[in-house]
Order: sequence, then C-alpha cells, then structure tokens
Amino acid sequence: MAKVFIYPATSLILSDLVARFDHTPLGTALGIRERIQTPGLESPPLQITPDDPKRGLKYAAVEVPSGVRGRMAVYGPLIEDAEAAIVVHDADFAFGCMGCARTNELVKFMIRQRSIPTLDLNYPRTEGEGEEFVAAIHQFLASLGGRL
Amino acid sequence: MTSPVRIAQLSCGPEYSGVQSEIEEAARAVDAEVFFPDLKLSDIRSSFEAFGLDVRSSDLKLAIARAKALVEGTVEADAVFIATCFRCAEAAIVRNELRRYIHENSDLPVVSYSFTERTTSGTLLTRMEALTTIARRRTLLAREHQEGLTMGVDSGSSTTKAVVMQNDRIIGTGWVPTTEVIASADEAIQHAISEAGIQREDLNAVGTTGYGRYLVGKRIGADLIQEELTVNSKGAVYLAGAQHGPSTVIDIGGMDNKAISVSNGIPGSFTMGGICAGASGRFLEMTAKRLGVDITELGPLAMAGLSRKVPMNSYCIVFGTQSLVNALATGSSREDVAAAACHSVAEQVFEQQLQEVDIKEPVIMVGGTSLIQGLVYAMGQLLKTEMVVPPHSQFIGAVGSALLSSGYIKGR
Amino acid sequence: MADYEPEYRGSVTKYVFVESPDMTPGDLAIRAYEIAGGVMIKETCFGIQVTGSESEVEDLVSRIRSFDPTHIFVKDRGFPPGDPRRCRANLGGARPGFFGHEFEMGIIRHISRGLLRLPSRDPGIEPHPPTPDHTGRLDSARLKAIIAAKEP
Repeated sequence: MAKVFIYPATSLILSDLVARFDHTPLGTALGIRERIQTPGLESPPLQITPDDPKRGLKYAAVEVPSGVRGRMAVYGPLIEDAEAAIVVHDADFAFGCMGCARTNELVKFMIRQRSIPTLDLNYPRTEGEGEEFVAAIHQFLASLGGRL
Repeated sequence: MTSPVRIAQLSCGPEYSGVQSEIEEAARAVDAEVFFPDLKLSDIRSSFEAFGLDVRSSDLKLAIARAKALVEGTVEADAVFIATCFRCAEAAIVRNELRRYIHENSDLPVVSYSFTERTTSGTLLTRMEALTTIARRRTLLAREHQEGLTMGVDSGSSTTKAVVMQNDRIIGTGWVPTTEVIASADEAIQHAISEAGIQREDLNAVGTTGYGRYLVGKRIGADLIQEELTVNSKGAVYLAGAQHGPSTVIDIGGMDNKAISVSNGIPGSFTMGGICAGASGRFLEMTAKRLGVDITELGPLAMAGLSRKVPMNSYCIVFGTQSLVNALATGSSREDVAAAACHSVAEQVFEQQLQEVDIKEPVIMVGGTSLIQGLVYAMGQLLKTEMVVPPHSQFIGAVGSALLSSGYIKGR
Repeated sequence: MADYEPEYRGSVTKYVFVESPDMTPGDLAIRAYEIAGGVMIKETCFGIQVTGSESEVEDLVSRIRSFDPTHIFVKDRGFPPGDPRRCRANLGGARPGFFGHEFEMGIIRHISRGLLRLPSRDPGIEPHPPTPDHTGRLDSARLKAIIAAKEP
C-alpha cells in the first residue's frame, strides 16, 4: 500500500478511488482530523491556530500571506510523507482548504520537487472520459505495487 | 434585548491564519454575529462570471458571489466585513473592488481589513462596533442639531478633550494630554464646564468616545458611549456644514488614523489604523521636539519650507527620524525639514490608507493634527483638492459626542 | 484563547455518499443502520457519515460499499459528525467544502461509468484520460500563410 497525496486534497473522487484500489489517500481530512483531535488552544473552526502560519515558515517565507503559510502547515507534512501523487489540474471550484490559488501553486510545485510518481489529469466531462479517467488511475495505482 | 447585528463575512484566509475566532469574538463583544451568506454552486459560478474579476483563488470567487448576493438582496445582512490576508495582492484587489461595489450599490456599511496571524479581537473591536453602531443607530446618526445642554468627552490615545454645548453652540472646551485616563478626563471636563460657567449637574446628557470611552463613560455615567469612527465623522460633517450628500473625513491621530467615506452624515466605508508610527501624529510631535519648537509652531514653520528639498518618506518612525537627523546634519533648513515631515506623514496616509476609501469632496480634516497647517497643505496637494478644516476641528470627537448625546435627553 | 479539549479522540469519521438510480441517500441510511452494529451513523446531504474506531469504520464502510459498489463513494472527514464548528445552522450557510462536494457529485456519474466498465476493459489498452491542455500557439509562419490566403 502506497501513501498517495491527492490534489485537490479535498476531493471525494480521488480519495475514494485511491482507497478503493487499496492505497492510502493523503488529503486535507487527515491534517484537519489531527488538529481537531489534539488538545491545545481553542481556535475554531479548523483548530488551525496562529502557530500554524509560523510552522508554515518551513515552506514559505514570512512575506508570504498567513493564509498560505497556515495551509502549508497542513499540506507540507502530508506531501513530505507521500510516496506518490494524483493531481487533477482543472479543480477550479475546490473551496476552503483548497481555496487559495497561491497555496495550490506551491502545493503542486512541492509535489514536483519530491520527484515521486505523479499522475496528472483533468476531471472527466463525459462518460467516455470517465472511463479513461478511472482506468488511468487504476493503472497508475497498480504500478505502485500492492494488491489490486 | 435587541437581536444581534448580522455581519456578513466575505473573506479568504482567516480560518487558515488562526484568526477566525478573533473575528467572531470581536463581533460577539458588540452584540453582533458574523455569518457566511449561503449560496449554491451554480450561483457562485454565474455571479463570479457576471462580476468579471477573473481571479484564480476559489475562496475569492466565493467572496465575490457572496457580495453579489448581498447587493442583490438575495441574502440579508446589516453590515459587511471583508477580510483577506495581509500581503496577498490578488486578495487586495478583490477586497478593494468588493468594498467599492457594496458601498456604491447598497446601503450596507462595510469595513475591510487585511489580517496576519497576529490579529486579535481587540484590534477589530472598534471596527466591529462602528458597523453595529451604523446598523443600530441610524436614527441617532441622522441627528443634525445639538439641543439642550450636553457634554462630549473624547478620551484619545494622546489627548483627552471635553466640550460643553448648548443649542448648537460650543460654550466650553477642555484639552489635556492623556496620562491617567480617568484623571485626564476629569481635568478636561473641569476645564470645559468652568469655561461654560455651568455646574456638572446642569448637563442634560453626556457622551463619551475614544480609546477610554468605556472607562470614562462608566465613571461619569454617560448616556452614550460610542466608538470614534461614527462619532468623529458625525462631528466633522456637523462642524463643516456638510451634513447632506457625500464627504470624506480624514483624522490623523496620535496612534492611528481614520479615513471615512460619509454619506448624509453616516459612514459608508472606512479604514482605521494599520500603519506604523511614521504615518502618525506622533512622528510630527517628535519632529517638533527635534526642531526645538512647540507642536503648534510646526505648521507655520513647515509652510515656510519646501518638502521636496529633503528626502523623507518612511512609514517607520525610526527611519523617519533618521532622515530628519541626516537632513539637519547636512545643513537642511528647519523649515524644509518641517515641511518634509508633514509631507511624509501625508504621503504615507495617502498611499496606505486613502486607497481604501472613495475620496469625495468635501474632504474634511479633523483631529489635533488638522491644526498643523503644513500637514493639511501637504494632504491637499496629494489629493489635489482644497481641504476643509472646520472650526474646533481638534475637538471633533467631543463635539460629535455632545451632538449625538442630545438625542438621549429625557423627554425630548 | 481558551483551552481546547477535543471530543471523539482517536475516532475516525468517513463520508459515504451515494449517487445511484436505484438508491437514495435515505435508502442508504436505512440499510446502513441495519448493519451498523453500534457504529455511529449520521445522515447528511449526499449520504451518511460513519464514526467509530478505524477498524470498525473500515469494516462497516466496506460492507456498505458492497450494496452498490460503483455508485457508493467514500471519503475521510476531519470533523466528527454534527460538529457545531462546521454545521450549516451555525455558519448561516454551507461550509466551503460543501461546494466542492456539490461540484464532484455533479460529475460522479462519469466515475460510476468508469468503475462499471473497468472489469471488462482490456488491460492491454492504454488509458487516455483528459489531461491539462498544452496546445501550442499557432506557428507564426502558418499565421502569415493564413493572412496571405485571405488577401484579395
């Protein structure tokens, strides 16, 4: 089983397909769950505290907006932990955790920097494209090993 | 018990900067609640496309769609708070355009703010309070005349001012540097009522504003305790005779600056504070001290000099002072240095804050710094307009407070 | 800032969504309740949320998937169910993540189709998924030729 970072990290489709084909999806929910379940100082809604943008300095300099650094504090460790990645590029309407274009550019760049196996595609717009989309992800995940 | 004021939040990033709870806490402190206008995905797409600002960040697309829903009335709110990350250029464009769009197309009061992870509820409190004042006290803010015998006290960061008014006339004033908040207020009040020739008990109503408004208000049993954004803009248009139509109020204070777009005496959008001390009245005080003149002499001195002869344009008080010292050391005249200091403050305020409000004439300058002629001149040059400095402009908060508190005279 | 003491520590929550001609989110909930065996289930817009220990949730989710494998979709969730911080009733509107779900649920039938066809697909055929468009710009010489051809 490989740990596969998914982009958009909030994607139901990618999270489902990775888990369905017996690998571990690494997405936003894991980073948020860790915060929601860790005692500390109260910072609703996401339990991202003012310390997170400081932790994000590892990934982006201090002149980068706090929202980027706070998000990177969630995504950075997940990308570092990933053994592969699937990136859907036309995710124009992923909001919230994926709602900042500057963060998203940095996330994609970090994936490239890791030089891990990466599958790049777009969302399917037709049934035919859906068939190819699923087949491509299935084949990519199979190439990572494990039982399929 | 009134229902909370509903403030629609249009934002990108506060949840990820750890400051969303600070925004909510500031709202709660003034009996308001922030909420996120509800939309459908299809609305987001169509509104974003119709607005025509093609940004990449989807949370900004969402903010645009929410702003449209507020303007079109599909979602109801009492006020709007726009917040995005400090130093994000994409968000700054959206923040500014949405602020302008809402201001021009609705009656909703709107304030915009760029936060960092260090933003606290305390910083946001006065802004939130102003939004709730505008939402709750429209009738009070529409008051055009001061009636009866009332007093206003402005407990500011640098100075404390008190004014006694009777039927639209100022009959007593008090002005003291703020040291201990209550003692300073007592002293200013004493000056004002003795000049007015009245007793404290003769007053029909009393109002407070400024940083120390709660403390002083409680101490003197004020009928009205209200933040300085709405009070000062009301005082400014009242004294300038510009109660009807649009106007802009600029108040460069000792600690922070206010720039307010006013329509018929009611603030529509405003900015407050946000820059370093190089853009404050404090820098001019330091300049006067270094030049060996009283602050009251700095204005005339500056008017006799030429600002362009001395390079000085820092929003940091330390770097600004460095320029000042260098200029004097290399033989610049005191007049030119004074003029450069005034120009520098005006320029910082112009560049950093006035871009966030729509400048509409008359532009009224108020507060203690409006008495520094050189600063008013420099601001007029930058805005290419004749600045209006009304009489008693240094007492603006106290006058606004005395005016508005007359709405609280019992039996009237 | 006040101290924060989390609830549901050590638990896992997953969304289970359904988009099927044969099963509504309500049907899914009823069938899931039948086999839940004490694992917490809560209904949501597109299906249900399941909360429990990791093994309990994994086990239940795989059994729920078997109801309709190509039309049921599963995703991790960071929050426990009904958390006031994310609840629509408290926010005055949907949380931002909801719109992402709304978008993907709008195209998920294409994924169902892909899953349905996958077993019968020849593994030797290379998939051609939609990919980011890298179409180059029109060659300047070609543009010149087009302009020349249009001239009278």
